[in-house]
Amino acid sequence: MNVFLVETDKTGLQKFYEEIIGKFETYAPVEKFGKYDYKRISKLDECDPDSPIETTMSIKPLFFPKTAKVMKFKEDNTGTTISETDEDSLTGKRIILGVKHCDARGLQVLDQVYNWDYIDTDYQKRRGNTVIISTRCDKAGTQCFCTSLDYDVEKSDAHDIRIVNGLDGKIYIQAVTQKGEGFVKENISQQSAVGSQQSLEEIKKHYKSFEASFRLKMDYKEVNEKLQKLFDSPEFETVSSNCIGCNTCAFICPTCHCFKITDEKIKDTGVRYKSYDSCNNGYFTLMAGGHNPRPVKYRRWRQRALHKFVYYKERFGMNLCVGCGHCAISCPVNISIFDVVNQVAKV
Amino acid sequence: MDYSKKIQEIASKLFADNKINYFVGYKQNSFDDSQVPFLITDPAEIPKLVFTDRSVFNLANYLKPDHTKRKRVGLVVKGCDSRALNLMLTESQVKRENIYIIGICCEGVLNEKGEKAQNCVECVMPDPVVYDEMIGSPTGKREYTINADIRELATKALEERADYFESIFENCIRCNACRHSCPLCYCAKCCIDQETSTLYHGANTSSGAMHALMTWSLHLAGRCVDCRNCEKACPSHLPLHLLHKQNESVIYENFQQHLAGMEKDDRGAFYKYSLSDPDDFIL
Repeated sequence: MNVFLVETDKTGLQKFYEEIIGKFETYAPVEKFGKYDYKRISKLDECDPDSPIETTMSIKPLFFPKTAKVMKFKEDNTGTTISETDEDSLTGKRIILGVKHCDARGLQVLDQVYNWDYIDTDYQKRRGNTVIISTRCDKAGTQCFCTSLDYDVEKSDAHDIRIVNGLDGKIYIQAVTQKGEGFVKENISQQSAVGSQQSLEEIKKHYKSFEASFRLKMDYKEVNEKLQKLFDSPEFETVSSNCIGCNTCAFICPTCHCFKITDEKIKDTGVRYKSYDSCNNGYFTLMAGGHNPRPVKYRRWRQRALHKFVYYKERFGMNLCVGCGHCAISCPVNISIFDVVNQVAKV
Repeated sequence: MDYSKKIQEIASKLFADNKINYFVGYKQNSFDDSQVPFLITDPAEIPKLVFTDRSVFNLANYLKPDHTKRKRVGLVVKGCDSRALNLMLTESQVKRENIYIIGICCEGVLNEKGEKAQNCVECVMPDPVVYDEMIGSPTGKREYTINADIRELATKALEERADYFESIFENCIRCNACRHSCPLCYCAKCCIDQETSTLYHGANTSSGAMHALMTWSLHLAGRCVDCRNCEKACPSHLPLHLLHKQNESVIYENFQQHLAGMEKDDRGAFYKYSLSDPDDFIL
């Protein structure tokens, strides 16, 4: 891994951020109603790059928007004409600040499906244009379990640049990808010192203390292997008994990618939209003839759990769950995918 | 307020007498002092049941056929929950003989910050209005006050209010957790889920969110019991009670001080028609 490292302090980091915000289209966690969501900012004090993981939404909507115009259509005597929408051209460079490591990993997982049989060009453009600057969490949240899964959080290259608030009071800006390295070299002021072997040690120390703060730990390999044989487990019914059947977990998830297509039409003209959908919806698998292969909620939950921990891994070699714990925090009744898979696999 | 022991006793008795198939109560979360709804079919799980001032959910929501499959259910209700249950009974959503109701004389529950929740401070009916067994001592009906947030909003300029509501709709992700957590939103197919309709916005836009939330709040006008299950469920922490409390205050002032679900077989303000009904609040 090609690593370029810069050592600075709080004011240095602030300057770095301010410079970026002044130059580029920047997105960062902005608070509203006690929740942080990634929004366009023009000043540093509008946002909080160190926002707590529990109350921060995922960055997924910046790549796969909660709703996007697919096309416009118009009917007249000659037939239907279809045209491009006036969505932005997706050519401007974008920077996202304060991204969480798990969230950035979510994009790597999504890349697999977006590069599969159909190449989603809008997604690709957004990915290509964006520099992701993540801030490593100092402490794990109550529902976090990113270190227990199939990827290495410490060596993750899902983001371009990582910021580490070192235990020694210094702040380390580490470029992880080539794109990130170029970006740091271009935008960092001259006073910052280039990091040494010692700073790498400090980053490692910070990771060790972060790793020690996890409440939830599991043996991923074992769970994955067991779940492959547990399709008919009655335990799915028990773990999903108090699920109220909303779509919160899927909409908030950094890796869920199901969508639905709807038209909005006034007289002869209309717009076709692509918006989030979820396998937790009762009508998600409803067929035109009226048959529904997943009519009850435990079957929908089984699909959700196995898709995340078995099917996606089989097909793409990556786990669809990144361990951010957002679903458990946002769930009205705190159902955690961690508890679900572990409880099912325990039997 | 800790009625865990009593509830456990009643539940074991109900299972022993074969009166119920399901019991719906609360369970302690393992990671903090919050609780989650807990559905039991096996009497061995009874020791996990709890009830304290952290038991915030409206369990009447689990009487929907999705969850308890129209079987015989025992459940715990607070004052506000029992009002919702009363409406479900009136609207023929559950059969009275299929449910065994443990009514709690509620002393108010706590919000996330550990303070008494706003709807409990303003509660009009802390005692259960429908029950088979009552726990605690009833304190009676209280006086209705207009919600503090509504009063505050009323002092603001129209543009400011519009902007505020716009920010609510913008932050809505349309996960429909509000609808699914509401015991009175029981339609098998909701009107805002019609994929092919040109009447409703299916797309996840802010105008779509406005459409969905306004439709939802009007369907609950005169029926909302202020349990705030929707607000607790909302992943974006939106102040959804504003939509309902505004309707409630208008109805209270204009329809003989009507409050939803207080009496048996009361079908709600919008279902009764009289020539003397006022209409001057209609735009």
